Amino acid sequence: MAWTWRPNRSADTRSMRHLRPITVMAVAGILAAACGSATTSPSSAGSTNKGKVGGKLIIDNESGSTWTCQFNPFNPSVNITSIGFIYEPLEFINILQTNPDGTPVVTPWLATGSSWSPDFTKLTMTIASGVKWSDGTPFTANDVVYTFNALKADPALDLNALWSVDSGPLTSVTLEGTNQVVFTFNAPAQSYFYYVADQTPIIPQHIWGSLDQSKLDAEADKTPVGTGPYLMSNCSQDNIKYLRNPNYWQSKPGHPVPQIAEVDYPAFLSNTSANLYLAQGQAQWGAQYIPNIQSYYISKSSSTRHYWFPPTLNVSLFPNLDNPLLSNLAVRQAISLAINRQQVSQRGESGYEPAANQTGIVLPTYKAWYDKSIDTTAYDPAKADQILAAAGFTKGSDGIYQNGQGQPLSFTIKTISGYTDWDASLQVITQELKAVGIQVTVQDEDSDPYTNDTQNGTFQLAYGEMPVAGPGPYYELRPMLFSGSIGSTNYSRYKSSSTDALFNQYSGASPAQQLQIIQQIEGVMAQDLPVIPVVEGVDWYQYDTTSFGGWPTPANPYAQPPVWATPDNGMVLTRLYPVS
Amino acid sequence: MRYITRRAGLFLITLWAALTVNFIIPRVMPGNEASAVLATFRGVNPSALHALEIEFGVNVHQNLIVTYFQYLANCLTGQFGLTAQRVPVLTEIISKLPWTLALVGVTTVIAFAIGTMVGVVSAWRRGGRLDGILPPLLFIVASFPVFFVGLLLLFVFAVTLNWLPLSSNYSIGAEPSLSLSFAGDVLTHALLPGFSLVVVTAGLWIYSMRNNMITTLAEDYVKMGRAKGLPSWRIMIDYAARNAILPNLTGFAMQLGYVLGGSILVEYTFSYPGLGYLFYTSTTDHDLPLMQALFLVYTLAVLICVLLADLATAGLDPRTRDA
Amino acid sequence: MSIAEISATTTLETGALRQQRGFARFLQAVLRNRKATAGTVILLLIAFAAIFPGVIARDDPLAAIYGQDLGPSAQHLLGTTQLGQDVFAQLIWGTRLTLIVTVVVSAIATVISMVIGVTAAYVGGVTDRALSLLTDIFLIIPTLPLLIVLASYLPPGSLTMIVVLTLTSWAFQARQLRSQGLSLRTRDFLAAARVRGERTSYIILFEIIPTMTSLIVASFLGLSVFVVGFAAGLQFLGLGNSTELTWGTMLYYAQQGGALEAGNAWWALAPGAAVAFMGAGFALVNYAFDEIGNPALRPVRKRRARTAA
Repeated sequence: MAWTWRPNRSADTRSMRHLRPITVMAVAGILAAACGSATTSPSSAGSTNKGKVGGKLIIDNESGSTWTCQFNPFNPSVNITSIGFIYEPLEFINILQTNPDGTPVVTPWLATGSSWSPDFTKLTMTIASGVKWSDGTPFTANDVVYTFNALKADPALDLNALWSVDSGPLTSVTLEGTNQVVFTFNAPAQSYFYYVADQTPIIPQHIWGSLDQSKLDAEADKTPVGTGPYLMSNCSQDNIKYLRNPNYWQSKPGHPVPQIAEVDYPAFLSNTSANLYLAQGQAQWGAQYIPNIQSYYISKSSSTRHYWFPPTLNVSLFPNLDNPLLSNLAVRQAISLAINRQQVSQRGESGYEPAANQTGIVLPTYKAWYDKSIDTTAYDPAKADQILAAAGFTKGSDGIYQNGQGQPLSFTIKTISGYTDWDASLQVITQELKAVGIQVTVQDEDSDPYTNDTQNGTFQLAYGEMPVAGPGPYYELRPMLFSGSIGSTNYSRYKSSSTDALFNQYSGASPAQQLQIIQQIEGVMAQDLPVIPVVEGVDWYQYDTTSFGGWPTPANPYAQPPVWATPDNGMVLTRLYPVS
Repeated sequence: MRYITRRAGLFLITLWAALTVNFIIPRVMPGNEASAVLATFRGVNPSALHALEIEFGVNVHQNLIVTYFQYLANCLTGQFGLTAQRVPVLTEIISKLPWTLALVGVTTVIAFAIGTMVGVVSAWRRGGRLDGILPPLLFIVASFPVFFVGLLLLFVFAVTLNWLPLSSNYSIGAEPSLSLSFAGDVLTHALLPGFSLVVVTAGLWIYSMRNNMITTLAEDYVKMGRAKGLPSWRIMIDYAARNAILPNLTGFAMQLGYVLGGSILVEYTFSYPGLGYLFYTSTTDHDLPLMQALFLVYTLAVLICVLLADLATAGLDPRTRDA
Repeated sequence: MSIAEISATTTLETGALRQQRGFARFLQAVLRNRKATAGTVILLLIAFAAIFPGVIARDDPLAAIYGQDLGPSAQHLLGTTQLGQDVFAQLIWGTRLTLIVTVVVSAIATVISMVIGVTAAYVGGVTDRALSLLTDIFLIIPTLPLLIVLASYLPPGSLTMIVVLTLTSWAFQARQLRSQGLSLRTRDFLAAARVRGERTSYIILFEIIPTMTSLIVASFLGLSVFVVGFAAGLQFLGLGNSTELTWGTMLYYAQQGGALEAGNAWWALAPGAAVAFMGAGFALVNYAFDEIGNPALRPVRKRRARTAA
C-alpha cells in the first residue's frame, strides 16, 4: 500500500480549499466496469455538435502563483495545464456517473477497448488507429508501451505507484501484435485499471525517448506535443493561450472537435482576483470558492450563470482508536450524535458542502451504493447523554463527562491550518460537543506535521479527508479502514480482520457482490464508527452559458467539472460548443 | 580606510550569518520539508525514495557538514536549484524582480522626497501650521500597519468607487509591450500598492529629518550664515538640510529592510506578483530552495545599500574616515 | 523597528538630562502634553477592553449563532462574520491576546537589548565587539522576511509569535542603549562603585540601568508600535494560529472569507483599524515622550500660546 505525494499549491495550504490537492492514491481494488458493455462513445458529443467552430473561452481558477510555462504531464505542480488539453489518457472514467449496477461510466479514448484475463492479472488494451501527435507523427501502441516503461525507468514519474516493488502490481507492459498493449500484473489488480487507463497521460516516444530516461521528471516540456484537443500556442507568466488542434482525432467532416477556437488560462494569485474576474463576466469556466456566491456571482446574470458543487469525499472526524477513551464505542456514538451535521454544513461551509452520513457513502454522487436502512446518522444530544451515562460516565463539576477513573472526555482535535472553512466548522463542532459534556480543543498544524501525526497516530481526534476520490466509495473506504493502511491513510488505526477480508474479496467479485461488500462496510461504519463523517467535500465549479453550451450539469454529470480535474477537463473541452 | 575595511568585514560576516540561518532553520525546525517529503512517501519503494530525495535535494543520509559547505558554495555561485514547481530558482526570481524593484524603488524615492521636504520645511518654520499638523499626523500614520492602509485604500478606491484595479500588476490579457497604453495599465495597477507604501514610510523620513534639521539649525555655521545675511532658502538648503541628511544615510539604507518587509505585505494584499508575493507563496508551500534564495536576496539588498551608504558617508564626511 | 529607531535617536541625546530631573517630574510633564494624554487614553481604553471584555461585549465571540454576513445594526454594532459571529464581540475579546503578545514581546526585547547593550558598553573590549557585531547583524538582516521564515517553520501560536518577534526586534534598542551606556562609563558614581569592589553584574543592574529608565521606557513604547503591527501582519499572512482570537486572526479570516469584496467590509476594516488604533496610542505617547524629553523638539510657540490663553 503506497500513496504518493504531490506538492500542494499555495491555494491548498493557506486558504479555503479553493483548489484541491489532486493527489492520486494507489489503492488495491477492482473496477468492474473495466471491460464489457457499460461504455459510451466519445462521439456522443455529437448531440450538441452544430458543426460550428469559434469563440474564446476563459478559465477562472486561482493558481496561487504565476505560470512557469512547463507542461510535463508527470510534474504534479504543472500538469493541470497539460493533461486534458494536450495529453490524453487511454480511457476516460467518470467518477460522478454510475451505471445502474453502480459501476462508473467508461469512455474509450486513445484505446478503443480493454479486456481482463479471467484471473484479472493481465489487461489487454486495444489502441486506436488514425490518431496523430500534434507534430504530425502517427500515434501508435508503441507510444503506450513506451510511456508505461518510462514510469519504470524514472520512478519519480510513477505518481500512482504502478511499478512500486512492495505492492508492485505491474510486472511488464508489452506490445502484442500491432495495436494491442498487454499489462501484466503479479496479482489480481483490477483496481489499477483506473490508474492505467484514466490517470496516466500518454507521451510521444519520438520526442521523450531521446531524453535522459532517468530524469524525465525534470523535463520542462516547454513545447508540448500531444494528441489532445488543444495546442499550446503561447505561454507567459500570467496567461496560457491554447488554440484548437485542427487535426484532432475526434474531428469528422461536419463534426469538428473541439468547437471552441481558443481557450485562455490566466494565472490568478489570489482567490479574490479570480472571483472578481469571474463576477465581472470576463471568464466563463470557474473552479472557485466564492463567499456569498448568490449575490456576488449568480445574481449579476442569474439566467446564464450557474454553479454546481458535486461532493466527492467525506470530511471526517478521525478518532484515534489507540486512545483508551476513544476506543470506547459509547464515546464515539456520543460524538456522532452530538454533532448537528446540518448546522456544521450551514455555518462552517455556508451550506455549500452538504452534511455527510455515518455510512461513509458520499451522496448523491455514490447513491447507487447507499443503503438507507443501514444508516445510523442522527442528531440527538439527549441520546448522547443517555449513552454516556449508560456506559458509566458521570458528569464532573465542570459539566464534562469522566469515566470511573476520573479521566475526563477532553480531547484535542488536530487539523490543517489554513483551511478556514474547516476551522469554522470545528468552532461549531466544539460548541456542540461541549453541550453534551465532551470537551475538545482545536489544534491547527501545518500540513506537513499534520500528515506526520495522522499517519503515526500521534493525535486524539483529527479532522480532515482522504487524499483523493476514485470511481466508487471503495476508493475512499479502503484507504480509511484497511488495516494494511495503518501508518498511511488509516488514521483511526482501525483493525478488523472481517473488514479486511471484505476488502480482499472485493477484487474477485461481480458488480452485484461488490455492492453487497460495500454495504457490509457501510454497516461497519454505521455500527463501529471507526470514522465519523461530518460534511462532504465538494468540487467548486461555476459556468456561464452566455457564449458557450455543453457544460456538465447535475442532470448531465458527464465529467468532474472543475478545470483542475484531469483528464475530465479534456472531456469537457471536447463537448463545449459556442452559442451564437 | 580602516572604516571601510571594517564595514566590509561586517558585510561578509552578516552575509555568512544570513546564509547560515537560512541553512539551519529549516533543518532544526519540526515539520521541515525533508522529513515531510519522506514521511508522505512512506511505502514507496526504496529506489523511488532515493530518486525523490535527490530530486528535492533532501538527501538525509549525507553528512550535515558536507551539505553545509555544498550549500555555501552553491549560494555563492548562484546555484539555487529548482523550485517545487521545478523551475530554476534564479529564473523565477529574475522574472519577478523588476516588479518589486520598481514598486519599492519608486515609492522609496517618493517617500524620501516628500519626507525630507516636509521635514526640512517644518523644522525651518517650527511651530508653524505645517509643523503642527503634518509631522505628528504622519508619525501616527507611520505606526499603522501597511496592510491596513492597503485594505482601506483597496476598499475605498477599488471595491466601492471602482476607480482602480483590485489586484495584479497589469490587466489580464494585456500584452506586455512598450506602448503608452500598457504603461498606463501598469501604472494604474501600481497606484494603490505604491501609495500604501508611501503613506506608511513618508512619516519616518519627516520625523528624522525634522529632528536632524532642528539640531543642525542650532549649529554655529548656520548662525554664521544668517549673520552674513544670506537668503533664508540658501541657509535652509545649503547649510542646514545638506548637513542634516548626512547622518541619516546609513539609517536610510537600513530602513530598506523595513520597506522590503512592507512590500511583502502590500504585494500580498494586492496580489501583486513580485518578489514579496513569491516569498509568501514559497513559505506557505515550504518551497525551501526558493525561500532560502529570496531571504538571501532581501538580505543582500539591504547589505548592498548599507555598504553604499557607508561609502557615501565616508566620502562626504571626513570624520568617519578615522573613526 | 523604524519608529522605534527614530524616536530612540532623539531620546538618547537627552537621557542624561532627564535622569537629573527625576522621573516623577518627567511623568508630570508627560501628563501635561496633549499628545501624551491622547495616547494614554487610547492605551487605557485598550487595556480596559483586554481586562474586562465581558463588560463591553456580552456576546460570546466564537458562538456562531447569528445570521451570517449581517451588516452593522443595533444588535451587532459591526455586523457578523461569515460564520454568524458578532464582529464587535470578536474585536473586544480579541484585544486581550493582541495586547499580551505586544506587551510581552516588547518587555522581553527591551530587557534583552538592555542586557546586551549595556554589557557591551560597560565591559568593552572583545565582549563589546562581539555583542556589537551580533547587534549589527540583526539590524541588517531584514526583519519581516526573517520573521516569516521563522514563523513558517514553528508550530503556529502565540508562543511562536512571542519567540520570533522577540528574537528579531531587540537589536536597535540594544545599539541605542550601548551608546547611552558608553556615555556613562566615565561617570564618577560608576568609578565609585568599582572602587567599592562591586561586581560587574551588580553595577550594570543596579547602577547603570536605573539611570536609563526613561530611555528604556521609550524603547518599550517604540517596540510596541512595531510589534503590534508585525504580529498582526504575520497573522494576516496566515502564519498565526487561526484558532486563537486576535485582531490579526480576525483579519486573516476576513481576508480568506473575501470580506471586502463580499460586502462585509467591517469584518476586515474593524480589526485593521484596531491595530492601527493601538499602534497610534503607543506612537502618540512615544512622540510626546520625545518632545518632553528633548526640549529642542518641543512645539515652543504653541505652548506659549496656550499658557497665555
